[in-house]
Amino acid sequence: MPPQPANLLQGTLDLLILKALALGELHGLGVSRRVEQITRGTFNVKPGSLFPALHRMEDAGWLASAWGASENNRKAKYYRLTAKGRRQLEAEIGQWKRIAIAITFALQAT
Amino acid sequence: MSFLRNLFAKGAVERDLDQEVRSYVDLLTEEKIKAGMSPDDARRAARLEAGSVEHIKEQVRDVRKGSLLDSGLQDFRYGIRLLRRSPGFTMLAVLTIGLGIGANSAIFSVINGVVRKPLAYPDADRLMFITSQFPTLNFSKFWISPPEYFDFSEHTRAFSHVAAYTTGAMNLSEGDRPERVNTAYVTASMFDVLGVRPQRGSVFTADQDQPGAPPVVVLSHEIWQRAFGGDPSIVGKAVQTNGLSRTVLGVMPPGFDLHDSKSQLWVPLGLNPANRQNRGSHYIYLVGRLSAGMSAAQANAEMQGMLRQWREWVPQGHAPNDSTHRVQMAPLRDEVVGNVRKALWVLQGAVALVLLIACANVANLLLARAESRHKEFAVRTALGAGRTRILRQFMTEGTVISLLGAALGLALAFWGLKALLAANPESVPRASEITLDPVVLAFTIGVALLTGLVFGLAPLLHMGEQAVSLSIKEGGVRATSGAGRNRMRRGLVVAEIALAVMLVIGAGLLIKTFRNLTSVDAGFDAENRVTFGLVLPQASYPDSQRVVQVITDLSRRLEAVPGIERVSAMQGLPPMRPVNANDTNFEGYAPGPGDPPANVDYYQTVSLGYFDTMGIDIIAGRGFEAGDAIGGPVVVINEALAKRFYKDKDPLGRRLNPFLGPNTPMFTIVGVARDVKQGGLEAPAGTELYFNFEQTARLVGFAPRQMNLVLEVSRPLSSLMPAIRQAVSAIDPGLPIVQLRTMEDVVGASLARQRFLSLLLAIFAVVALLLAAIGTYGVLSYMVSERQREIGIRMALGAGNGRVVGLVLRQGIGIAGVGIVLGVAGALALSRITQSLLFGVDPADPATFAVVVAVIALVATAACLIPMRRATRVDPLTAIRAD
Repeated sequence: MPPQPANLLQGTLDLLILKALALGELHGLGVSRRVEQITRGTFNVKPGSLFPALHRMEDAGWLASAWGASENNRKAKYYRLTAKGRRQLEAEIGQWKRIAIAITFALQAT
Repeated sequence: MSFLRNLFAKGAVERDLDQEVRSYVDLLTEEKIKAGMSPDDARRAARLEAGSVEHIKEQVRDVRKGSLLDSGLQDFRYGIRLLRRSPGFTMLAVLTIGLGIGANSAIFSVINGVVRKPLAYPDADRLMFITSQFPTLNFSKFWISPPEYFDFSEHTRAFSHVAAYTTGAMNLSEGDRPERVNTAYVTASMFDVLGVRPQRGSVFTADQDQPGAPPVVVLSHEIWQRAFGGDPSIVGKAVQTNGLSRTVLGVMPPGFDLHDSKSQLWVPLGLNPANRQNRGSHYIYLVGRLSAGMSAAQANAEMQGMLRQWREWVPQGHAPNDSTHRVQMAPLRDEVVGNVRKALWVLQGAVALVLLIACANVANLLLARAESRHKEFAVRTALGAGRTRILRQFMTEGTVISLLGAALGLALAFWGLKALLAANPESVPRASEITLDPVVLAFTIGVALLTGLVFGLAPLLHMGEQAVSLSIKEGGVRATSGAGRNRMRRGLVVAEIALAVMLVIGAGLLIKTFRNLTSVDAGFDAENRVTFGLVLPQASYPDSQRVVQVITDLSRRLEAVPGIERVSAMQGLPPMRPVNANDTNFEGYAPGPGDPPANVDYYQTVSLGYFDTMGIDIIAGRGFEAGDAIGGPVVVINEALAKRFYKDKDPLGRRLNPFLGPNTPMFTIVGVARDVKQGGLEAPAGTELYFNFEQTARLVGFAPRQMNLVLEVSRPLSSLMPAIRQAVSAIDPGLPIVQLRTMEDVVGASLARQRFLSLLLAIFAVVALLLAAIGTYGVLSYMVSERQREIGIRMALGAGNGRVVGLVLRQGIGIAGVGIVLGVAGALALSRITQSLLFGVDPADPATFAVVVAVIALVATAACLIPMRRATRVDPLTAIRAD
């Protein structure tokens, strides 16, 4: 029984894509698989959300893209983080941690 | 950058996105093959997992920066493409909207030029027009006397400058042809009040505005150009006016005018501040400029205070007060624009109705098209186009149509206005200021965008969410189209008919008003009468006996011309001339508190034979006779005067004492003439006193120098013109002939505004009627084609032509009936607004209403004819098989 894909919390998709790309450049399906992998299969990003997000983040200047060849020599568009994207990742990690701590405290409160 | 790339490198971006999504599907397929699926299964599964490529693309497009603008452009291009594909529809829609917008722009540009634009002076809203008012005499706006002007300007704090003026005309003899030129007689302060400096030279000073000062003149830019060829050294030269040499002081800037008087010459009024005796001599108007920080209300309050204390400044004689002799003020602009404002707003309302009808029509056209585009939109929705995107598509198409319509409308407005104003130059004040300026342009574009949105929205109303899903299903089995949609279309046509009914009723009432006015008995025969004006200047004709001699000589000379039967002269030209309200003592008449004051509205001086020449009936006593020239003082009165001052007594033989100067003797009434209209055809005739031209010159040394000759003719004016000109120049080559025209033209000119208004409204009403007919036709023929199947089945089941015709007719009459009822109700509701524009016709005139209802019903029936014929030609077999 595979884990149920959780609904992506608003705003977490960007964080996950940035994090996935922090390790190296990837094409669209690669991003999707990497996110699945690093979240232990919790998040399965569908193309309907993935591509709008990629293009939006590229427009924001966090990502850069280029056409390349896949392992099997297929043409694919590869995304990588820009310097601005790395700063954004730092910022979003910091913010996420604050939220996580706050939520944890909130849930522990009696 | 990416924003620009998205916008311009559109094709490349699209292809890129397409490839990217496809490569995603390919990679996913590969992954599945690796996991052990067969290639076919893998591809199918990958496609299923990825979802629709188009849907993904649509979503990506939506998040893109510049996507709004981008898809807007896309809609725009798409809209134009679609419109180009159906040129018939586009032309009809653009033409309809063009007519509607054109009419609105035209009327708005008139309102903009006449009512909205401030007058062409600096801070023009600080200028007030000051007049007197005599409630007991029924003069709501009257002149002011010079001493009152001095009293007021000396005491006021609310005004920084006050000026007095009167307007007239002078003979300007410059070059080969003498010319009659509008002249403003103004105090030196007028230029300060208006705040306009001369273009060259100077204006006159207070010293040059004294009685007896050397004569000077300031020229308008227009007369400087026209009569003096723009002579750069004109300042300091002398020009001849009324036989008097005047030194030119300066030239005013182009377009400078006072109270729309079209004055070309500006000369000193020459009031004498020391003379405070002539208090009863009201002949000037005042214009004042409010002091800094003073409001019109404060100025008014100050005036009310003055009216209570004026008596203290003038212990003796006639003084303004707050009951019988008020002084009042109003913004100068209101005065210039006058009562045309209301007529213009009525017209604007009318064209707004026309535009609404046009909108309803185009909305209906779009609706009909939307029906046929159901599937297209359903497919696009299924492919992932957002609903808002489809809505926007509608709006864009609407906007494209209305902008094209606006372009057409502006052209129509421009040429139409030019033609209309050329044909009716006297119909509105400030006509020279009517142009298509940026304000009109902005108005037009605003109206266009608004209309685009309005009729673009109409198809949306019925393209609800369910409509999209329904239409796919409907595509399969075509039944009668949705009831809701039809209700909407019918509603639009009902509204069109109702609006058209209102407009046509309004136009009908105005046309009836105009007809009533033209058939008003003016009291004289205008047919076969010709008239022109003549002014004999004091400088050349100092003696009043000489004036009489010249007019008499000229009359004899003219009478010798074949085709001219009779010639007489009169001072004032009916049926429209300014009231002159003269205090007159009637022997034995002492007005009590409720009685009319002893004052006569019009003094008229006429030459021998006048009543015959004009065809004015003498109903008692006699007219003037040759012997009166040397006989005792006699007058003829009109019926209105007899009724007012002599009631049931016989006025013949009674005496009265008019004021024609010092030592005016008692005059004996020898005749009563039928009333002649003088204050316009729509106004009741005022009281009138006729003097004999030949007699008064001798008796009191008074002869009007400005006379109108009237000629009874038996040939057309055009063939008599050379002889008339020759006769005048034989008497004095320096005398200009003023406005030589037929009396019928004179009467017609007094109706220029009413004619203009009813003509325009009639045009708009016809357009509205046409549009409503097209709308009715459209909705019925659509209904027939929609119900072809049903009609076919009915016919197959044995329904005859009559039944089928009845089906269509019932629909048509139902729509028209509801529209007519609503329209009549609307017209009745608006009757209070139209009332004041009407003459001799009730705003709920049953005859007009009946005719309009009949006409509209006829037009609606006519609009049913073609659809009816089409319905009877339905071939049952084809109709049933159609789908």
